[in-house]
Amino acid sequence: MLNMDEIREIIKLIDQSSIDEFTYETSGATISMKKNENTVSQTPEKEVHKKVQSADTPSLVDIKPEIQEEPKEEQTEIKIDYDYEIVSPMVGTLYSAPSPEREAYVTVGSKVEKDSIVCIVEAMKLFNEIEAEVKGEIVEILVEDGELVEYGQPLFRVKTK
Amino acid sequence: MQSTRNKLIKLLAASKDDYISGQLLSEKLNISRSAIWKHMEKLKKDGYEIEGKSNQGYRMIRLPDKLSENTVQWGLNTQWIGKSIIHKTSTPSTQIIAHQAAQNDALHGTVVIADEQTSGRGRMSRQWHSTKQKGIWLSLILRPNISPYLAPQLTLLTATVLADVIYSVTKIRPQIKWPNDILMHSKKTAGILTEMQAEQDQIQYVVIGMGINVNQAKNDFPDIIQKKATSLKIETNQTWDIVKLIQEILVTFEQSYDTYIKNGFPHIKNKWESYGFKIGKTIWVKTLQEEFKAIFSGIAEDGALLIKTIQGETKQLYSGEINWFQKEE
Repeated sequence: MLNMDEIREIIKLIDQSSIDEFTYETSGATISMKKNENTVSQTPEKEVHKKVQSADTPSLVDIKPEIQEEPKEEQTEIKIDYDYEIVSPMVGTLYSAPSPEREAYVTVGSKVEKDSIVCIVEAMKLFNEIEAEVKGEIVEILVEDGELVEYGQPLFRVKTK
Repeated sequence: MQSTRNKLIKLLAASKDDYISGQLLSEKLNISRSAIWKHMEKLKKDGYEIEGKSNQGYRMIRLPDKLSENTVQWGLNTQWIGKSIIHKTSTPSTQIIAHQAAQNDALHGTVVIADEQTSGRGRMSRQWHSTKQKGIWLSLILRPNISPYLAPQLTLLTATVLADVIYSVTKIRPQIKWPNDILMHSKKTAGILTEMQAEQDQIQYVVIGMGINVNQAKNDFPDIIQKKATSLKIETNQTWDIVKLIQEILVTFEQSYDTYIKNGFPHIKNKWESYGFKIGKTIWVKTLQEEFKAIFSGIAEDGALLIKTIQGETKQLYSGEINWFQKEE
């Protein structure tokens, strides 16, 4: 998984490129970046690109104004307070606790290990104990106890350590 | 070791009422006479009654009805199920033992059995009454090479296996309440609880837990569940051999599982529906949002419950509370 510095590096590189959209996928986690600009801003960027090509030696001055503008927007667009999503491996009902009287396996702020159980997904009385599969902290819970979840649906967001 | 003991049991059983000499046994098994004696002592501990007479030899008087690795394995006609058996006289739950064993690399097909469970559990840690030596409390460890999302089909498969075995031994046709409760005359005879450890695309292991009420009398059940629960004995007025039933279940499971892995779910679906409880009848479905009545029309190609709502809509359910016994208004 990518760390913050690497994500920043990617944002920088994408800023400097003509790429409008970028998706990075790894074991269950996805990072999507999209330049939040319409056609108007795309044109100057292509010009920058052309300039670079024609000038052979890229001039930093040419692209700098764009970098200064964009990172702010992109930082809000990709939620960088998590870097891993735990997804459901099957259709079924989600249970956040081992039984109704017991406490939930995890809450926001819970520290998890790779083999920590975060919830149960049940279908046709098969109970699948979902493990975190990463070490980190639960930063967001996307589902409720008793909710029906789909195959591949994100359940928890984790900030890995 | 195990196989020597099994051979010994076979030789003793084959000679029936005649004595078989220690000399002959030691020749046939290619072990010393003192080794034979040690085996005999072990067998006696497992509940075999063996008579030893000087100058004549040994004679088996009675096979044990007691559960043990030996008694289940002896005469078990399977290829891969039960090659490894873990037996406990008393355990909180065979599921817990099975999980521990699976995490310690227990083989595909490993069977965990107990005479008694002190805190047997059902769905959502609901208690399961597992009276000593009156029923079958068994967990089976599987490592199927199928996608995790297909694994729920294994619980339906297990239900058809138990229904087949109960039908073939008692001649009473049981019913399966979706997905996997076994009923006899609308009362629960057996329950199945399946637990899985899996990654997104690969199953590490599945533990299928089965609880079957065999030789309980009515007053062995707590008052509150007497109306809902039954046993083979209550239904047939007969006491059943637990070891033989376990062997029958394991053999039938192995055949059914092998066919499933080879050919998929269709034959399980057909069999399941032939035992299906309340197919074509009205049931009450309760979800988080609503409660409504619908016609239970059968199961889908993947095992999901198929219902037809009053509006004529067909829906698939994978999970949820269903009221099967509410009377028609």
